[in-house]
Order: sequence, then C-alpha cells, then structure tokens
Amino acid sequence: MAIKTKKILAPLDGSKNSIRGLDMAIHIARQSQGTVVALAVKTVPGIYAIHPLGFLDFNSMTEIKKLLSEAKVRAAKKGIDLTGKAIAGDPGYDIARFANNPKNKIDMVVIGARGRGSAKEIFLGSVSNYVLHKSKKPVLVVK
Amino acid sequence: MTASFKKILVPIDGSIYSEKSLERACDFADAFGSGLILIYVVEKSIPINLLDRKEYLDILRKFGTNVLEKANKKLSKKGITAKILLKEGNIVNEIEKIAKKEKCDLILVGSKGLGSVTRLFLGSVSNKISQTSPCSVLIVK
Repeated sequence: MAIKTKKILAPLDGSKNSIRGLDMAIHIARQSQGTVVALAVKTVPGIYAIHPLGFLDFNSMTEIKKLLSEAKVRAAKKGIDLTGKAIAGDPGYDIARFANNPKNKIDMVVIGARGRGSAKEIFLGSVSNYVLHKSKKPVLVVK
Repeated sequence: MTASFKKILVPIDGSIYSEKSLERACDFADAFGSGLILIYVVEKSIPINLLDRKEYLDILRKFGTNVLEKANKKLSKKGITAKILLKEGNIVNEIEKIAKKEKCDLILVGSKGLGSVTRLFLGSVSNKISQTSPCSVLIVK
C-alpha cells in the first residue's frame, strides 16, 4: 500500500517544540515525497475576532511572516517544498478547522507537544490537546 | 532530524480503530524500515465481581491472543515481522512501561477503542497515552 501522507500540516508558533515538530514533518515528508504546509496562527483575543480592526495589527503579522520564511529556509535545506499560511484567530480552533477543511487536503497533522503557553501543564499543551480531539485527520504529537 | 522511527509500538484491542492503526503501522514500517511491536493489554484494574474474576480474565486473555494472532497474520502477509506481547494490568501504565523498556520512538494508536460508550472525539486510553507518553504519539483517525 502506498503511503498516503502527501500533505502534512505543521502548525508553528515559534517555540522550540514547534520547530521540532516541523523537523519531524520534514522528515516524514522526505520519506513519503510529500509537501509540508506550515500554518502560523496569530493569537487574537476573542473580542477582536468579531471586531474588524483586530486584524489590522500589522506589526505582529510581520513577526509571523518572519517565522514562516525561517521555516521555508529550513525545509529548503532538506529539499522539501513548503507552503506557508498565516491566519489570525484562535490557534486551536483555526488549526483544527484548517486540518478538517477538505479543500486543503491535509493528510496528517504534526504538532509539538507543547507550545508557548505557560509551563504549568507538564505533559501536553492546551492547543495540542484541542487539535488532537477535534481534528479528523491523524495527528502526530512530537515530544 | 536524524531520529527516525526505529521501533513502533502498536497497542491493539480488536476494534475497527486498532485495525486502522495497524494498516498505518504497515505503511510506516515500509517507509522507514522500522520494527513493530504489537501489544494487547488485559485490563485488570476494572472492578469485576470476585467470583467471576478468574473466568472473565481467561476470556479476555483468549480474546487477546486471538486478536494478536490475527494481526500477526495480517502483517506477515505483507512481509513484516512483528514482536508480540500480551500484558496484564492497567492499560495505559503497561503501554508506557513497554515504551520505556523497548525504547520505542513512536506509539501508534487508534483514536478510539472498544470502550462501552463510543466517545465522540477521543477515547480515554488514547487521550491518556497522548498526555503522558515519553515518546511521540500518532493518533490515527
């Protein structure tokens, strides 16, 4: 049976763990000759999600763009095609929605076990947990 | 990253979801040339009537060996050899113990199992494994 993981989603938030997740995604993509989709979500407080001006915060959008370009360089070194996507919203919800959207044709989600959230939760971050529960695609949690 | 998946632990319980995870494990074994370890855990921690306990565990054990044999046949058809383990005790604890002992790089579980209530999102065992496991976890949906 051929490997079906053609398109791998790797959510990024700039933390060490998410970089590790990206590395793993690149590694798997190399084996299955797939492509990686990097998704960076800019956290927007709930109120701004309704308010249109919340998305006009260009300052931090550049930070995310920088993150994505770094990821692109990282993938290019290994010879993997990487497409970057930047979204503003709630990380967990938007990652799960992106993964479940049939238009994106995601075959697997590779996510770091912990992100930038407070270190109180030792084992699994809240966003990882949320994605794990809500996504309809296979999820690889990298520790 | 140099760490490829040398050893993959596949806990199975005979449900549809575990079959799915087995298929995925075959894919991984093909792609990465990794060794598979199949494990079935006879759950001992649930409170069972004292009188029926022995009989009940015997039935579970029989079922477990059955499931493991079936899975092994499936794998050998595809030319993959796997190590087979039958353990007793708390499911999550045993899986973790084995993962540590065998130094597995990946645990491959189905999103749900044979639990009495089919949960909407994620089974309790898969959830606990993903939260506490020492290595990476792939949840097959």
